[in-house]
Amino acid sequence: MKVTLVSRSGREFIKGGLELNDSATVADLQEAIHKRTKKFYPSRQRLTLPVPSGSRERPVILNYKKSLKDYCDGNENTLTIVFKDLGPQVSYRTLFFFEYLGPLILYPVFYYFPVYKYFGYEEKRVIHPVQTYALYYWCFHYFKRIMETFFIHRFSHATSPLSNVFRNCAYYWTFGSYIAYYVNHPLYTPVSDLQMKIGFGFGIVCQLANFYCHIILKNLRSPDGSGGYQIPRGFLFNIVTCANYTTEIYQWLGFNIATQTVAGYVFLVVATSIMTNWALAKHRRLKKLFDGKDGRPKYPRRWVILPPFL
Amino acid sequence: MASALTVLRRLYLSIYNWLVFIGWFQVLFLALKALKESGHEHVYNAVEKPLLLAQSAAVMEILHGLIGLVRSPVSSTLPQIGSRLYLTWGILWSFPEIRTHILVTSLVISWAITEIIRYSFFGMKEAFGFAPSWHLWLRYSTFLVLYPTGISSEVGLIYFALPYIKASEKYCFRMPNKGNFSFDYFYAAILALGIYVPGSPHLYHYMLGQRKRALSKSKKE
Repeated sequence: MKVTLVSRSGREFIKGGLELNDSATVADLQEAIHKRTKKFYPSRQRLTLPVPSGSRERPVILNYKKSLKDYCDGNENTLTIVFKDLGPQVSYRTLFFFEYLGPLILYPVFYYFPVYKYFGYEEKRVIHPVQTYALYYWCFHYFKRIMETFFIHRFSHATSPLSNVFRNCAYYWTFGSYIAYYVNHPLYTPVSDLQMKIGFGFGIVCQLANFYCHIILKNLRSPDGSGGYQIPRGFLFNIVTCANYTTEIYQWLGFNIATQTVAGYVFLVVATSIMTNWALAKHRRLKKLFDGKDGRPKYPRRWVILPPFL
Repeated sequence: MASALTVLRRLYLSIYNWLVFIGWFQVLFLALKALKESGHEHVYNAVEKPLLLAQSAAVMEILHGLIGLVRSPVSSTLPQIGSRLYLTWGILWSFPEIRTHILVTSLVISWAITEIIRYSFFGMKEAFGFAPSWHLWLRYSTFLVLYPTGISSEVGLIYFALPYIKASEKYCFRMPNKGNFSFDYFYAAILALGIYVPGSPHLYHYMLGQRKRALSKSKKE
């Protein structure tokens, strides 16, 4: 079958198109494009069916597992596909690893090294217990995240644009340093012992709950990485769609109750708003997918992310 | 679609834009007068009142965008007004030592010409429903010169004010305190300077795009 490839402006992207087997899959097409163009490896390619001009519908993205025949209408033996370059891609594992590595390494620098000398303070003399526990708590948190990245999470997309590495690292590394600066500061004022224990205790419980949420999410997808969406069930997912975000937010709240810094609370607010955006999109997506029609289950009534508010 | 509301909106915006226009006209007039009669060291004192008033009034534009009275997105008005208020109140008004610097003159003149054109343009459109094409051209062309001169003046003034900022300890919040928080106005100023590095080309590029769209659209009409 002949595949004609156009760019979004309508220009022919590969002169003369590509000739493929009638039984070829989208993955085969991606390979062929990569072979012809060298630069555009499969994860960089975004292949869609053409949308009639003026139509405001979102274009259909080709699934790499399906055969090209599935996208031909009628018994035409030709297919026109729209190509978009997604730009250099990086695997999600790589992205997550580097964004989490920053906080894991930078925070201890403020604890162990005489950093504050360069801000005009004398060498630190007193380290409060809460500062030590905060160090363990923080490092455990990011260590856990890295472990989950490599051994637990199953991603819906294999890759993410390279530009996200800079953006995400800037976010995590800057906030990590900002918080570390204040918690380990020579003039740090600790909270009461009870408040510290409540904060860290609650935080640890939430981190464990968060880990369990990740296990549940992992089991929704198959290991061959075909992604897809299922209705999450069990544990907190029965009441809230994004229980993983919920536990993550509360876990940071625990850290802040124990350490009490404006910087930490600012981070909490920003992280919460980011996760809330994601949660709203995910909740909407699941409700749309599981509409109860054509034998599909109907998505149950649940909180989005933060009962009893949203 | 009550037309009474539309009339009210246009009346309000006409009055707003022409009033602020008058403010900036005063700024330009007094600045040039002081420059000629007394020298650049005296420009700030001559323009202080109308400058503080006209620049602070711009806060209303954030409100206008938020409630949908005007189409401008809040995301582009906020940084623009933010930087203006920072320079006006956070640098010039707060640190009198910088007021005699020659960059105050270039700053004030760049801002005033830009705003005179801008506010009269909107004043025309709201009051009379149209603005002549030369006016549109001015609005989308003078920035080509005035943005570089204005931004350089802003950056220069922040930079030259740094020693005064550091010495005065103004607007600083120190540790220890229960929130384990601190704020150092000197470092914040350095951060502000840093933001100008990516921010200025981004803004200039954005305006170039706006210019292309606005001037080609008027050609088509």
